[in-house]
Parts: sequence; structure tokens; C-alpha cells
Amino acid sequence: MSIDGQPQGPLMVVANLELCQGHARCEDLCPQVFSTDAVEGKVVIVHPVFPPELEDKVRLAVRNCPEGALRIARQKAAGA
Amino acid sequence: MTLHFQPSPPDHVPADRIVDFDFFHIPEGVTDPAEIWHDLVRRGVPKIFYTPRNGGHWVFLNYADIVEGYRDYSIFSTYQTPIPPIEPFPVVQPQGVDPPEHKVFRSLLAPMFTPIAVRGMTDEIQRRAIALIESFADKGECDFIGQYAERFPTALFLYLFGLPESRLDEFLDLANMFFRSTDPEARAKNIVEIYAVLDKLFREKQDNPGTDIASVIVTSRDPQGAPHDWTDILNCGFLLFVAGLDTVTNTMAYIWRYLATTPAAQQHFRDRLDDPDAFLLAVEELMRINAVSNIYRRVTHDCEYKGVQFRQNDRVILPNTVANRDPKVFENPDMIDLDRAVNVHVTFGVGPHRCVGSHLAKRQVMVSMQEWLKRIPAFELSPDQSGQTVFGGSVMGFSGMKLRW
Ligand code: HEM
Ligand code: SF4
Repeated sequence: MSIDGQPQGPLMVVANLELCQGHARCEDLCPQVFSTDAVEGKVVIVHPVFPPELEDKVRLAVRNCPEGALRIARQKAAGA
Repeated sequence: MTLHFQPSPPDHVPADRIVDFDFFHIPEGVTDPAEIWHDLVRRGVPKIFYTPRNGGHWVFLNYADIVEGYRDYSIFSTYQTPIPPIEPFPVVQPQGVDPPEHKVFRSLLAPMFTPIAVRGMTDEIQRRAIALIESFADKGECDFIGQYAERFPTALFLYLFGLPESRLDEFLDLANMFFRSTDPEARAKNIVEIYAVLDKLFREKQDNPGTDIASVIVTSRDPQGAPHDWTDILNCGFLLFVAGLDTVTNTMAYIWRYLATTPAAQQHFRDRLDDPDAFLLAVEELMRINAVSNIYRRVTHDCEYKGVQFRQNDRVILPNTVANRDPKVFENPDMIDLDRAVNVHVTFGVGPHRCVGSHLAKRQVMVSMQEWLKRIPAFELSPDQSGQTVFGGSVMGFSGMKLRW
């Protein structure tokens, strides 16, 4: 439960494609969640709402992005 | 000829920011040219300083400033940057132009070098690595740079450009003269030769296009649907030649020297031959530690950055090797930690010009290490390392390294 009493949604990972320059460090570190496209090699988030068991890997990928293009957010809970 | 881009005299540079530093000069006895850069940090010189050498230029030493130098093209341009200044300098595509024009050739090259594209080249990369390694594996020794680190990326360049393997020696000669000659006359002649080879190659591909990179470049159209300017096409071919050979050669030379002198690291990689993720993580650390490129920028207009006055046309060097050991960003920065978990190195740059060949370069290094370790037992430096030369400049390295096993 969050402070205001609303149920918390699951964690999700979000990319800023303006910042992403296609280093593919995210894909190397967590291919279950991150991929890259065939045009510019920019990130494609295959599973924005990732399963909890991948949280550590996703966080590591986020911290390894040299462009700071990734961030973790909490998805709004349904109906919130 | 007027030198429009000659840096202004340093009357805007305060005395306390001036350091006498020549990045081409490696003092006698220094075997690692990167050390001249790390020495600056150890001496505690200002993190943004100016040296009057080589036409005069600034140097950034903080990771944050180096990253800003890469990203903020409104101040730090890639157009006409050579140090010392040479003008006119070929406007290499896409490295020598700033966004938004940068996008034209960048978008053309990018799809050919994405991780997906590079995965598709793995068999060809592997085949060439194996053939070269097997040519000396049973000899118990090799001249690593001459027999491998130069030949391998050049062989791949031929493959990518749709050229026959029989032209390897010709391209090695062109590249060696370009990267190693200090004779201005020989260099000028060499550049003319390289452009003549590219011109002929692109014309052949224009008449008879294949699926190779040269064909894609020459048959592509600009955003208005017209063929690209022929000079831009040549300058794009030239950039791929310049950017993709020496960088890989010197990176490999550094990595193999480290492996040859560090048996535990050899073992670390041998133990992970069946674990590509862990292997790649360790390669990434070697990329951090062995960042061979020092990148140039030119200041676009008189301005102040971090309280320092810059003049239009001032040159700036971004030394990746220094950024990669900034203690504000990396834990135990001078330690080589093959399991390092967080590693935001800038060996391939950041921002819009991020090395388009980085995935190919890493794949070349990784496949070479894997195939090498599968075929060569524990190896070390040969006792006789005579004839080794060390060089600084925009791509640092050394030549002549004999290994034995
Ligand atoms: C270990 C090897 C390599 C290193 C350390 C390296 C380093 C770099 C760096 C630091 C940049 C940024 C330049 C800037 O911001 O001005 C760059 C750009 C570039 N690199 Fe690499 N590179 C390597 C291998 C390659 C390879 C194998 C290729 C091609 C096949 C390549 C092609 C390019 C191109 C075309 C650019 C310009 C990209 C642009 O301006 O958009 N590089 N490289
Ligand atoms: S690591 Fe960052 S810059 Fe690289 S592909 Fe992933 S999101 Fe993009």
C-alpha cells in the first residue's frame, strides 16, 4: 500500500528514446526485458512491466546505461 | 590559404589553467601511452586545462565534462577538429558533421552495425579469427600485432566492403602507412592512394552493386531522393577505414598484453568460455581500462563553460581513458575488476556520435579472445621485445609484441 492508501502498481521500466544512443548495454545485461531495433539499434523494451524476479537485473541494466536513458517507475494500479 | 579554424591565441586563458602537455610525446621508458594522461590526474592539474602544444588545445579530465563535450554539440562541434589544426580537413561522414545533418549518413550506416546486424556477421568474424589463429597456433609463438591484431580487422573490412581476401596485403600496407608514418610527404601520397582505391571501389559497386556496405552507401539516396555527393561518399568510406582498423588493432594489443602478463585473467576467461554473458561482462571491463581513443572537438562560439572562457575555434580533447577512471563514477577505478557490475565507460563515446561500430568492435574482440583461448595454451610475452614502439595521439597504442606459449 502506498502512503495515500492507494494500492501500488507493479514496477516498470521506461526508456527515453531521445537520450538512447544504442549502446545495447541494457540488452547485453538483461535480454529478457531489453532488445534493440534493426534501424538505429535503439532500445526496445520487450517487457516494460517485468516480472519481480528480474528486478535486480533490470536495475543493473538501468545503472549501466551510459546515456541515462532508462528509468524505473511504478505503473499506476488499475483504477487508481 | 587563410586558417579560419586556427585556434585563437590564448589571451583568454588564465595562467593557472595552462599546463605544458604534448599528447603525441611519450617519454622514454613509458610502455603505456595512456599513462601520460593518468599522470596529469596524479599531478593534480586543473580538470579543465589548456596546453599551448600542437596548435594549442584544451583538455577535459572529469567524466562529467567529457560526457558534456560529447553531448553538447551547440558548443562542442565535430566539424574541422584536427589537432594540430589542418585546414581544409576532409569532412568525414558522419563523424565530421553535427546534428541535424549528422543524421543523413548516420542513418545510412546505423542499420548495418546494429547488434542484430552484427549477430548476423558472427560466422564470418569467427571464420576469419580461426583461420588466422590456426596459421600460427602450432608454432608456439607469434608477432601478435603483425600476425593478428592488424590482419584481423583489415580482413573484416574487406569482407564488409565486398572485396576479395586477396587484397589483404595491399590494404594492410595502406593502413600501416596511414597510421604509422611520420613522414609528411609519404602521408600525403598515402591519403591520395586511399582515396583513389575508394573511388575505384565505389564506382565498381555503383555499376555492380552487391549487399556489402560499400554498395549500400553508394546506391543510397539523400532525404530528397538524389544520390549523395560523391565527396561525401568517399569521405564516409574513408572514415570507416580510419575508424575501424587502428582502434581495434590497438585495443587488442592492449588486451593481449594484459592477458599475457596476467595468468589469472587468462584463467578467468578460460573458465567462462561456456558462459558468454560473464565473458562479455569481463570484456566490457577490458574495454573500460583500454580506451585507446582521445576525441577532438571544436568550440562553436565564444562562451563560458563551467566558469572557463572558451573562444570560437578553440580545440578540446576528450580523453576517454581518463573519463573511464574517474573515481566519482567508478568504484576502485584503477583496479581491473573482471566482474565489475556497474560500468558506464565511454570508450566508444556517448551522445549522437556514439561509435556506430561499437557492437562490431566488441564482437571482434570477444570472438578473437574465445577462438584464441580455445586454441592457444597459457601464453606470455616473449623475453625479446626489441623493436617495440609506443605512440600517443588520437589513437594510442604500441607496435611489435611477441607472444609465446
Ligand atoms: C575498439 C574499437 C573502437 C573504438 C575504441 C572506437 C571509438 C570511437 C569513438 C570514441 C567514437 C566517437 C567519435 C566522436 O564522438 O567524435 C567513434 C565513432 C565512430 N566509429 Fe568507432 N571505435 C572503434 C571501432 C570502430 C569500428 C570497428 C568501426 C566501423 C566498422 C567504427 C566506426 C565508427 C564510426 C563510423 C564513427 C562515427 C560515428 C558518428 O559520427 O556518428 N569504429 N568510435
Ligand atoms: S544502454 Fe541505454 S543507450 Fe544503450 S540501448 Fe540501452 S537504453 Fe539505449
